[in-house]
Amino acid sequence: MTTISSPSAARSSADAPVATPRGRRTTELLMLAFAVAVVLFAYASVGFGLNGKPPAGLVGYGVAFAAVVLVAHLAVRWLAPWADPLLLPLAALLNGLGIVMIYRLQQSGRSGNPGIQISTMTASTTVQQVLYSALGVAAFVLVLAFIKEVRVLQRYIYTLGALGLVLLAIPALLPSSMSVVNGAKVWIIIGGITIEPGEFAKLALAVFFAGYLVAKRDVLALAGRRFLGIDLPRARDLGPVLIAWGASLLILVFETDVGTSALFFGMFVAMLYVATQRTSWLLIGIALFVFGAYAASKLFGHVGQRFAIWLHPWTGNNPTHNAYQLVQGLEGMGFGGIFGTGLGHGQPFWTPLVQSDFIITAFGEELGLTGLMAMLLVFGLMVERGLRAALAVRDPFAKLLGGGLAFVIALQVFIIVGGVTQLIPLTGITTPFLSQGGSSLIASWALIALLMRISDAARRPAPQPIQDEGMTQVVRPG
Amino acid sequence: MNRALLRLSLACLVMFALLLINVNYVQAFEAGSLSGRPGNARVFNEQLQFQRGSIVAAGGGGNTTIAESLPVKGSNTYQRHYPGGATYAPITGFDSVYGATGIEAAYQKYLAGTSSSLTVHNLISLLTGKPKQGATVFLTVSAKAQQAAYQALLNDGGHDAAAVAIDPSTGAILALASYPTFDPNQLTSLDGAKVVKIDNQLLADPAQPLLNRAINATYPPGSSFKVVTGAAAFATGKVANTSTTIPGPQPLTLPNGNLLNNDGDETCGDGQPQIIQAFWLSCDTAFGELGIKLGGSTLRAYANKFGMNSSDLTIPMQVSPSVIPPIKDPSLTAMTAIGQFDDAVTPLQEAMDAAAIANHGTLMRPYLLQSVQAPDLTTIASTTPSVLSQAVSPQVASYVQQMMVQVTQNPAGTAYATAGPPAVGGLVIAGKTGTAQNGVNNSGLNDAVFTCFAPASDPKIAVGVIVKGGGFGADAAAPIAVKIIQAYLGVR
Repeated sequence: MTTISSPSAARSSADAPVATPRGRRTTELLMLAFAVAVVLFAYASVGFGLNGKPPAGLVGYGVAFAAVVLVAHLAVRWLAPWADPLLLPLAALLNGLGIVMIYRLQQSGRSGNPGIQISTMTASTTVQQVLYSALGVAAFVLVLAFIKEVRVLQRYIYTLGALGLVLLAIPALLPSSMSVVNGAKVWIIIGGITIEPGEFAKLALAVFFAGYLVAKRDVLALAGRRFLGIDLPRARDLGPVLIAWGASLLILVFETDVGTSALFFGMFVAMLYVATQRTSWLLIGIALFVFGAYAASKLFGHVGQRFAIWLHPWTGNNPTHNAYQLVQGLEGMGFGGIFGTGLGHGQPFWTPLVQSDFIITAFGEELGLTGLMAMLLVFGLMVERGLRAALAVRDPFAKLLGGGLAFVIALQVFIIVGGVTQLIPLTGITTPFLSQGGSSLIASWALIALLMRISDAARRPAPQPIQDEGMTQVVRPG
Repeated sequence: MNRALLRLSLACLVMFALLLINVNYVQAFEAGSLSGRPGNARVFNEQLQFQRGSIVAAGGGGNTTIAESLPVKGSNTYQRHYPGGATYAPITGFDSVYGATGIEAAYQKYLAGTSSSLTVHNLISLLTGKPKQGATVFLTVSAKAQQAAYQALLNDGGHDAAAVAIDPSTGAILALASYPTFDPNQLTSLDGAKVVKIDNQLLADPAQPLLNRAINATYPPGSSFKVVTGAAAFATGKVANTSTTIPGPQPLTLPNGNLLNNDGDETCGDGQPQIIQAFWLSCDTAFGELGIKLGGSTLRAYANKFGMNSSDLTIPMQVSPSVIPPIKDPSLTAMTAIGQFDDAVTPLQEAMDAAAIANHGTLMRPYLLQSVQAPDLTTIASTTPSVLSQAVSPQVASYVQQMMVQVTQNPAGTAYATAGPPAVGGLVIAGKTGTAQNGVNNSGLNDAVFTCFAPASDPKIAVGVIVKGGGFGADAAAPIAVKIIQAYLGVR
């Protein structure tokens, strides 16, 4: 319910100028043009770096990429005109650079460049990635089109929660032949198509957590006992935390996927903290995770090995065996140094799976420290815009969901970039927008669509009162 | 909830800050050590993108390329090729994915073009669009001498052996051969796994093909050490000149009561021979007694003047020290004086002994690098011959030379048949044989040693040869030295 005085105060702009809310769609278009230009320069640079001539289809690919991005922009103009103007250009930039790097990696070992062919990449890998990008943008448009208000999702939180858990559980239940790629049991393989359900489960569970926590936050925030200056929750309220913890541990055990496990649990704890504002939940969550990770490292060989590789990558035969991938990534980054070798001039193909988990080391090698820092800042900016939307939006559900989704981008980048740069133990998860693979890309675009929907709600000016005429008739005092 | 969201934002900020700090650490602070780690395939692979400099054997007239980078068909990369195969392996070493040895390692900065003296040249190439190229390294090695040396070792019958030839007036190494050895072409593959496999095979091979016996293995010098003992005797005045007589009993009773016998228990002349006769007959008792007279420390001091007991000799590869241990016991000094007991020298040392005598007592520092030529043909480095030590005076050197000539020219000399007129005609080689006993209770096969230079009147080449288990020095080692000398001097 709008009060009578506020619109009239806003209206009397002559006395007290108030910034007129603006959609800033033109800003978005200009930033998009800039992003497309950067991507095309990078693509041309790869061609010159590898073969000394412009790459094939520079114009064609350029037009196609610009068209896809333009579709996204027009959809935003139509469906979410008040949304944040930076999120889409940032996503487009990262997506485009990811395609360029995948194209570059696919070229290694060809055209006279010495090196090794990356066995998991074929001639059509880049085309596939472009198609996935188009699908990602389609998902982006569909999310904006069908979810006019994030609040509508609150109706389906339990459905989505169940869906998320099922998606997570499917690979664990499938036989290895249908679920294991490169040692990670996180896939669904049907008829040559591989889907990583965890990427979609991430979104479904974020919605579920947001809905559940908004409903229960008062209960969860109820003080139990104070102990050592910390408000401890009541024992029975620990239930959902323990369930989330148990689920993430199950992923870890059955799918040998430490990264996804940490990602889900981190997202849950962060959202729990935002919902209740209780530091105790944060401490309990962190304690549970540290304990779980420690126990897992003792109980399961593959987890313990990750710690050993992290602590001693250069010891013994680690560089040529267990730590080979990490060591190759680090040596590549060192080889790139501050300014990098230039696109097409480095040798990122020595690092196994460089096109997926280790793609950030390829950027580090060829674009150098400078380029890598710029890309990290792009991710940082994306997170910041997401958090800003969450802060500004009024609806608590949207606020919690926005905060959770923005945080999950930050956490995912931290886990994978920190992992490949030896900051934390290496756990294989995808780098949002950059890594090869459709599931991750489509889910990331859907995530950005949700954030833009939230920011659209946050930035949308208050609706015009229906009885506009009537208010002008208010008699001014004095 | 906004307060918690702001705190969450702070957590995100911290995460990104940590990432940024860490990538700075990896790519700025650690970058050099990470990229320079052995086994970083990127660095080696990058070298393949341009033409690494060649290594040329330029000694003794004529240039022979012994290592070069050739374009790989169907790509713009280069692969290392060693035209001489195993012949030059102890010199060139190899350049592989996993590292380099020999000259390839020692002059990496020139061959790879990273030397600071090539910086300007590289910059000009970059600006003019010319492909980057490494500098050519010219070695003092004579292709004729080296091929003769390797072939002679190869045909010797599979003994561990090595031969080194030096230009006595400069110290330039003319030949440096070792057997068994390896073909460096095996290790130039761009396939890392294949290189590792072959490298492991070579490392595990009991024949130790990777061991450079010419400079990194030591053997007892045997009677060839009498060159040093004789030089010390003249230099200290214990023996006036070559016709001075010295006692040469058969047997010699050592101070500790043990008996030292001559080879085959033969008498040494009339038991009181001139030193020159004791030398060409190689009487152990005469030189054993001389050693006792000189004393262990004096003997060792002269050994040092010939370059022994030094661990800092590089050619540029590190040379293992030739050891003449400090001895106080006169009985053991007698053994040391005839090149037994714990004496152990490199084949290079044997060549240096002869070279010092040939060069009037002045030992020149042995070296392999003649010059380095940038791709634009300017010389960016070269070696100026330098004196390693003044071993003995010219007078003493000429006495020792007279004695060494008699070894091959006197019909009773130990090497008359294999390095004297019957074998080489008019060419006069001055030499000394060595037949070193070894093994437990001297039960092993004798090591054959020969140290020599030629022509005696105007020395052009000094040679040291050691054939492990070869038998008599005159029979096994001298013919190898003769083949090297003949090939180098172009006489037959």
